[in-house]
Amino acid sequence: MVLETQNLTKQFNGKGGFKEVTLFVEKGKVFGFLGPNGAGKTTFVKTMVGFLHPTSGFAWILGKPIGTVESREKVGFLPENFRYHDWMTGKELLSFHAELYKIKNPGKKIDELLELVKLKGHENKLIKNYSKGMQQRIGIAIALLNDPEIVFLDEPTSALDPVGRIEVREIIKQLKSQCKTVFLNSHLLSEVEMVCDEVAIINHGRVIAQGKLDDLLKEHTHVEMVITDYTPELIEKISRLSKEFQFKENKLSFKVEDREKIPIIAKMVIEAGAKLYQLNTQTSSLEDLFINLIGKDEIS
Amino acid sequence: MITIIKYTFKEMLKKRAFLLASLLSLLYLSIYAFGLSRIFERPSDSIYDIIFQSEILSAGLFFANLIVAFLVVLTSVNAISGEIESGTIYSILSKPIKRYELVLGKFIGLSIMIVLYSSIMFLSVVGLNIWFGSKISFGWDNILKGLFFFDLGPIVFLALIIASSSIFSTINTGIIAIMAYGIALVGGVLEQIGTAIQQSQVSAFGLKSGESLINAGIITSLILPTDVIYRKMTAELLTQSSGISFMMTQGLFGGMSQPSIYMFIYIFFYVVFLLYYGVKRFSQRDL
Ligand SMILES: Nc1ncnc2c1ncn2[C@@H]1O[C@H](COP(=O)(O)OP(=O)(O)OP(=O)(O)O)[C@@H](O)[C@H]1O
Ligand SMILES: [Mg+2]
Repeated sequence: MVLETQNLTKQFNGKGGFKEVTLFVEKGKVFGFLGPNGAGKTTFVKTMVGFLHPTSGFAWILGKPIGTVESREKVGFLPENFRYHDWMTGKELLSFHAELYKIKNPGKKIDELLELVKLKGHENKLIKNYSKGMQQRIGIAIALLNDPEIVFLDEPTSALDPVGRIEVREIIKQLKSQCKTVFLNSHLLSEVEMVCDEVAIINHGRVIAQGKLDDLLKEHTHVEMVITDYTPELIEKISRLSKEFQFKENKLSFKVEDREKIPIIAKMVIEAGAKLYQLNTQTSSLEDLFINLIGKDEIS
Repeated sequence: MITIIKYTFKEMLKKRAFLLASLLSLLYLSIYAFGLSRIFERPSDSIYDIIFQSEILSAGLFFANLIVAFLVVLTSVNAISGEIESGTIYSILSKPIKRYELVLGKFIGLSIMIVLYSSIMFLSVVGLNIWFGSKISFGWDNILKGLFFFDLGPIVFLALIIASSSIFSTINTGIIAIMAYGIALVGGVLEQIGTAIQQSQVSAFGLKSGESLINAGIITSLILPTDVIYRKMTAELLTQSSGISFMMTQGLFGGMSQPSIYMFIYIFFYVVFLLYYGVKRFSQRDL
């Protein structure tokens, strides 16, 4: 396990932050940490890299308790409000951070990273004169300087142009192919959907859903059926197995939380002697899932 | 920690505050040199001239010391708090380094810079006096001891500022630094006056008010002992130089009441405690 937390809680005078988070992130996975503004995502990541002292609970990175120097040895971090020493040039900044990591002869690595984040040609400019997006790019380079086993990226594309966003996606995929772990804070759901293997959704500091992205999405499959010659009992039975059930003329429309229910329902229709003309399924998008879960959480 | 020291030093050289202070000191030294050239134009032989010359030297060192203190404040108030306020701290402390390494690294880096700067100021002032033909006879050991204490004061002041900067904001650290320095300065003057009153022994009343002034001075020295160290510096430089100590060191810029050895033990623990406390509070902070 690259990252593990047990009932980890961080609150500010009993308010905000996050509560009783238990998470496991395996090696080589891209883990998406999602939630609305103020849900506790940044607080969580800051706690992981040792800036905030947890109120209670435990957490380990690569088996080392968080807050220790050892736990940060193989970690990369891109802060949400990235700011770098602006009196240095890009190259000097990378050398400085390489020195902080105690990397010997970082020259080659620095060149590689400048290439990766598309800042070649800007390395001798002062950071002061970098655009916001360029600063985020150099931040990503810094986060990758030490070939980290796990990278925490707190909204890594917040300042990037559309091309930059695609590039970051590629970088994340590349890290995954090198069996590195990525912990991605984001509310850009389409982005998360494209790169993440697993996600956790956090709201008001509590994790309200967690698991493999595919599994979570499968749980919310939308089904449309066209049938004739049905009995009221059949309709009644189907409505009990599903959610958001709608019935109009010959058309049924509903959601199931488990895909395995679809063949069961089809079988019921046939066995009841009705005629099945059409059956369409559509897994919901992460956005649907997100809105749905947050909406439900707000009610309860 | 070496990296922090190195980059603290580099940053200083690139900062405007440093350039400003350098220009200011250059200006000061030129004016002082010009003043000396005028003063030493006329021949001087009498004992009173030597006393006058020692006053000139003391005054020169006094203002040099003030400029160094100014530089210490300018360059160091935001040493830690500035990193927090600008957010650059997140790029530093997410690395496998301990928080104390940042605080001590900054302290050492700034210390090196301040010692260099302060030494240049001291040696320039003393050097100018010798160059223009001061009649005070300086021994090398006097100069070295004086230099040591001249540099020690700013370092002690730096320890206070670094500790404060690790705990409070830049603005508050600035206020604390200037207030502490001001109090120490005023307290030092009070103590001098107190000693003068006591030595003159005009009346029982004088004796008593002299004593209370001395006590006030001692208390302010405990808050920030820069003035005590400064007086020790003057004493080391002048007192033993030509064997007429009681006359040489009189005056507002000189040191009549000399700090005791306990004061110096206190100063040692003062620096250690401030750094320890600053590091401790900084390590416990949520950033
Ligand atoms: N230093 C702090 N002191 C007090 N409360 C805080 C502090 N930092 C965060 N909080 C509170 O903790 C909660 C979580 O904040 P956090 O920054 O982790 O949210 P987030 O999920 O990252 O939001 P966003 O998507 O806007 O970045 C918020 O209610 C916030 O007000
Ligand atoms: Mg955030």
